[in-house]
Amino acid sequence: MLDERANILQHDPMRIYRAKRDAARRTVASKYTILGFISSGTYGRVYKAQSLEDEGQIHAIKKFKPDKEGDVITYTGISQSAIREIALNREINHENIVALKEVILEDKSIYMVFEYAEHDFLQVIHHHSQTLRAPISNAFLKSLIYQLFNGLIYLHSCHILHRDLKPANILITSSGVVKIGDLGLARLIYQPLQPLFAGDKVVVTIWYRAPELLMGAKHYNKAIDCWAVGCVMAELASLRPIFKGEEAKLDSKKNVPFQRDQLLKIFEVLGTPEEKDWPGVVDMPEYQNMKRLDHFSNRLYDWCQSRIRTPLGYDLLRQLFAYDPDNRLTAKEALQHKWFYEDPKPTWNVFHTVPAHQIPPHRRITQDEAPSMMPVPAHNTSHQGHGHGGVPFTQTQSKPGSTASFGSLSGGGPYGQATGGNGAHVSNRKKARMI
Amino acid sequence: MATDFWASSHYKRWIVDRATLKQARADDLQYVEDPEHLDLLAIYFANVISKLGKKLQLRQRVIATATVFFRRFYVKNSYCETDPFIVISACCYVAAKAEESPVHIKNVVTESRLLFSQENYNVKNFPSDNTKLAEMEFYLVDDLECDLTVFHPYRTLLTLCRKEATDSASLFGSEEGEAEEAGIGIGTEDGPRYWGTGEGQLEVTDGALQTAWFIINDTYRSDLCLLYPPHIIAIAALYLTFILNPSMRDTVLPHLPTEHEHSRASMPQQSSAAPQPRRSSRQAHHTAPTDSPKKPQDPIAFLADLNVSLPLIATVSQEIISLYSLWDRYKEDAMSEAPRHNRDQAQSPFSGSTGSTSPAKRSAPESRSGSLHAGNSNAGTPMDTREDLGETGWSDGSYVTPAFLSGVLMKMREARLADMSHPASGRPVAINKMLERTQAAG
Repeated sequence: MLDERANILQHDPMRIYRAKRDAARRTVASKYTILGFISSGTYGRVYKAQSLEDEGQIHAIKKFKPDKEGDVITYTGISQSAIREIALNREINHENIVALKEVILEDKSIYMVFEYAEHDFLQVIHHHSQTLRAPISNAFLKSLIYQLFNGLIYLHSCHILHRDLKPANILITSSGVVKIGDLGLARLIYQPLQPLFAGDKVVVTIWYRAPELLMGAKHYNKAIDCWAVGCVMAELASLRPIFKGEEAKLDSKKNVPFQRDQLLKIFEVLGTPEEKDWPGVVDMPEYQNMKRLDHFSNRLYDWCQSRIRTPLGYDLLRQLFAYDPDNRLTAKEALQHKWFYEDPKPTWNVFHTVPAHQIPPHRRITQDEAPSMMPVPAHNTSHQGHGHGGVPFTQTQSKPGSTASFGSLSGGGPYGQATGGNGAHVSNRKKARMI
Repeated sequence: MATDFWASSHYKRWIVDRATLKQARADDLQYVEDPEHLDLLAIYFANVISKLGKKLQLRQRVIATATVFFRRFYVKNSYCETDPFIVISACCYVAAKAEESPVHIKNVVTESRLLFSQENYNVKNFPSDNTKLAEMEFYLVDDLECDLTVFHPYRTLLTLCRKEATDSASLFGSEEGEAEEAGIGIGTEDGPRYWGTGEGQLEVTDGALQTAWFIINDTYRSDLCLLYPPHIIAIAALYLTFILNPSMRDTVLPHLPTEHEHSRASMPQQSSAAPQPRRSSRQAHHTAPTDSPKKPQDPIAFLADLNVSLPLIATVSQEIISLYSLWDRYKEDAMSEAPRHNRDQAQSPFSGSTGSTSPAKRSAPESRSGSLHAGNSNAGTPMDTREDLGETGWSDGSYVTPAFLSGVLMKMREARLADMSHPASGRPVAINKMLERTQAAG
């Protein structure tokens, strides 16, 4: 007996503690029925689930991919991305942010239980471009953007940068409430202990990445999220990404390359930035590279003519696309923009003005994946197109927009489920080990 | 969130009352000879966290967060049923991530093994395997209920105080350089401070700010971070600084009602020329050497204007003093000559100046009446209650060392394990037998 005790103290001192905790813990299966599989990404997988308690409410359960050595699931440390998402979600509470109901830590896996949202911006875009073949109405567009800004104001007032705003990460409930999701790349910027750049070399999916980031800025702020909203607004209006550049991948030394193509895509619409519009541009690390690019002039007004269709809408977009981050409209200022006060006015149910037959279909779930809820299949990590209501994808898998919708954050990188680009993969794997 | 303490998980779920803390230590209490050993263990563990944090080059705020995690964990668990050392490692590991300055798990394991195997702690079996620490992290995060955002008094301090003349942003962790976030404290865009409506900042000397910072560091040696909101702790630390820091004391003394009001009443001629007694020339004469043309501030009035309960501040201040009194009996190293020699304070932004000395110690020699060390009467300062704090029997130099406390901890754990192995034999008897046996053996 003494030997065994000594053994516990010497070799597994926390055994009694763990036994106690394990016995007290309520399992996912005891609280939820898994209805089906929604989507997946480098972070793990998202399931649709029904609560066995509170009136059978529907939830989305995000299961972080457990780390494995061979086929054995082991503890390797919770990823920075998961820690962020959990830590931030535990503190925030806003109508326009996806609410975290609870976190269940069970059997080496982390399950985040979120409120369920039936739609997302990407799905709305696909629905209009592929099924309806008609633009999103002004009233609908305005309501979507209004609520998006409303949520963003909250995040920014909490000193949180989202850092991965894109259509796939912005959800809509069946009652027409916009919900910003996916705080896996988000972080607090209040009195950071080290520069933001030190934590994550690359943030924001390439098409939505602000020019200061593309120019290699070491310091950035809330303005990067506002740029991304501008991109989202333009994409909703035109049904395709406004700056659809090719991402230059990290090299073997994980240096961040000059994003030539993405900058060109931006310059083609907004013109080449001038020092008078953006005094800081000359100090940007990539300024010399930028100067070698062809020169363009601003044609945003023309771009908006057929797409945004109102002068005030153009004005809002113009101000969100200000090159100088300091001149870019803040979320707060944007919400007070005259566009939102001109008819048609935004509605709290974004579908209020949408005819019933034009409302996007429900999120598709698949059954075959559902049984894998508990043990994750060993080699099944590349997924595409799940959960988009049968809308075919036009992009290749490595493109940022193709990430599956619900909670499509990437595990610590902005690459979504990029399967191309070895650099991205290497960096993600490296990151997983780092933290 | 970052500014709204009242909406935070910290405020809503992790400010507990004394009864809860008592309950949390109930099991442990059965396994110690002297209940005070548990309070000394609280100092001991905080010191271990601080040391490990320094080995891992964690910033002070990360160490503070790790310490808060540790305290929260032991609101729900007992020392005697767990291995506090692996909990400490996991707290540092998680805190580094929660504060966005992650360290590699392998680093944490290596440094932990190195530190804990030292004679003082005598932990020879710390796992070399990353998965053990990762497993502990997993359980820790669960026990912390995923509440990983912690508020600290440092922020309040820097919001309340401004160093004289220089811009302190560069000193205080804002090397970030993010234009809009670079300011210390809470920006104007956030409206009123989260604890009240006080306006402006108190101008203090480097030394005073340093003293307050060190006092805050020291509060993590106790359960204060579980009992009181951080801004209360910060204000209490500032209050104590008024007495401990010579420059502050000289500024404050003329304003103390006991001295000033009274003397004015009895000897009106002394300050007859002062329509505003709190702006007396005497104060101006005593303020720091910087010949600032500005009107000197009145720290007491500044405190009074804060929208906090001053009796509560006084209570917390007393508790901090009690902590120092207890701490006087704790000695990092039996060989070292000064009881506070090894106190870990170097990680403050002042590191490099007087890193390893406690505020109390630093100010003691210059102190006219407010030394925390000397057992003399400290009439006229809030310190004079410290004699009631159970000094008797300890002034003869019998110190408690980490090695001793490591032994206490091991005995607790062995005894607990024995009890759990023989539940039928009844706890109290088993404890004593086990204690006797281990004492005889050791």
